[in-house]
Amino acid sequence: MIAVLGLVVGVVVGLLVRPEVPAAVEPYLPIAVVAALDAVFGGLRAMLDGIFDDKVFVVSFLSNVVVAALIVFLGDELGVGAQLSTGVVVVLGIRIFSNAAAIRRHVFRA
Amino acid sequence: MNQERHKGQPGHQGGAGAPDNRLRKELPEERPPSAAPRGEPEEKAPPVLTGRQRLLQSLWPPRVSRAQLIVALLLFGLGFGLAVQVASHSEGDTALRGARQEDLVRILDELDDRTARLEEEQQNLEGQRSELENSSDQAEEARRQTLAKERQLGVLAGTVAAEGPGITVTVEDPQDAVGADQLLDAVQELRAAGAEAIQLNGVRVVAGTYLTERTDGDAGVSVDGNKIAAPYRFKVIGKPQDLEPALNIPGGVVQTLEKEQATVVVERRTKIVVDALRAAKRPDYARSSAR
Repeated sequence: MIAVLGLVVGVVVGLLVRPEVPAAVEPYLPIAVVAALDAVFGGLRAMLDGIFDDKVFVVSFLSNVVVAALIVFLGDELGVGAQLSTGVVVVLGIRIFSNAAAIRRHVFRA
Repeated sequence: MNQERHKGQPGHQGGAGAPDNRLRKELPEERPPSAAPRGEPEEKAPPVLTGRQRLLQSLWPPRVSRAQLIVALLLFGLGFGLAVQVASHSEGDTALRGARQEDLVRILDELDDRTARLEEEQQNLEGQRSELENSSDQAEEARRQTLAKERQLGVLAGTVAAEGPGITVTVEDPQDAVGADQLLDAVQELRAAGAEAIQLNGVRVVAGTYLTERTDGDAGVSVDGNKIAAPYRFKVIGKPQDLEPALNIPGGVVQTLEKEQATVVVERRTKIVVDALRAAKRPDYARSSAR
């Protein structure tokens, strides 16, 4: 419950404050957000499976974000930033979908 | 993440009770929840809940624990980043934001080309404008000069009124002895003295003016066909200091007229208005040979 509140408060604060995204972070933010979403879905699934571990969640969340940003950075340096970003988004999207499917089975039993 | 999943699935599999097919492992996984009260306790000590129950349990009542707080912090970060990204993406020109670098370079090139073309066009148009302004200035100047010329010529031709310093000459002729020839002498004398505009009894005297005796027997003369009678009043524009002596010279116009018993009064005026007009006539035969 506290976690859900944290999410809601984060969204509200983000919408109200409207901070200017620093130019250095701008290319990494969308990928990092998608990676974090993947971690959250994974955590939710783990919770429904009854094996949720906060330490694992924290580590996976942070490592997901860092690795995603790193891949984009590397791609930018190599000159294939756009393609690599697309690839990361596709992979993370697939994982989110599979996690969402597992969550759906738990919640709706279908 | 993957760790969790791999750990989780076998656990459930074990609980579900050995599925024969790996592909269908998900199905047995779903069944146990309904049979959980009976099936699960065999292996695990705590009562095993379904995913839905666990979800509800974790949602309500809220428990403050370190894990919850850490997860809340992370989710706060996620929500914040999400909202910021959405906000920054939805505002501004989204058409260029998503464009690739090559496209942006191409768009920039096109814009540069367009700018160059438009600047060239602007220069052309400005050149045309200054040309037109020059030519219209010249046309205006020419028109002004033509107008001034027309006024000058109009004074000579009698088509416009004129004013300026000059003299008036009044000839009283009680004996009816003054004829056209004396008046013509007076006009010639005035012209010779530099008269620029002459009016005789309301008739403008110009280059083509003729004076004749009246044919109907009455007193007076006819000027360009207009019958006039004494007293004859000349209004003359010119230099008064030249005009008056020209009339008064010995044996001149005044003396000749006075010999005929006429009285002549010459007055200098600083302002004479010659307002009798004459229609501009286009010559029938003579054509300008100039230009």
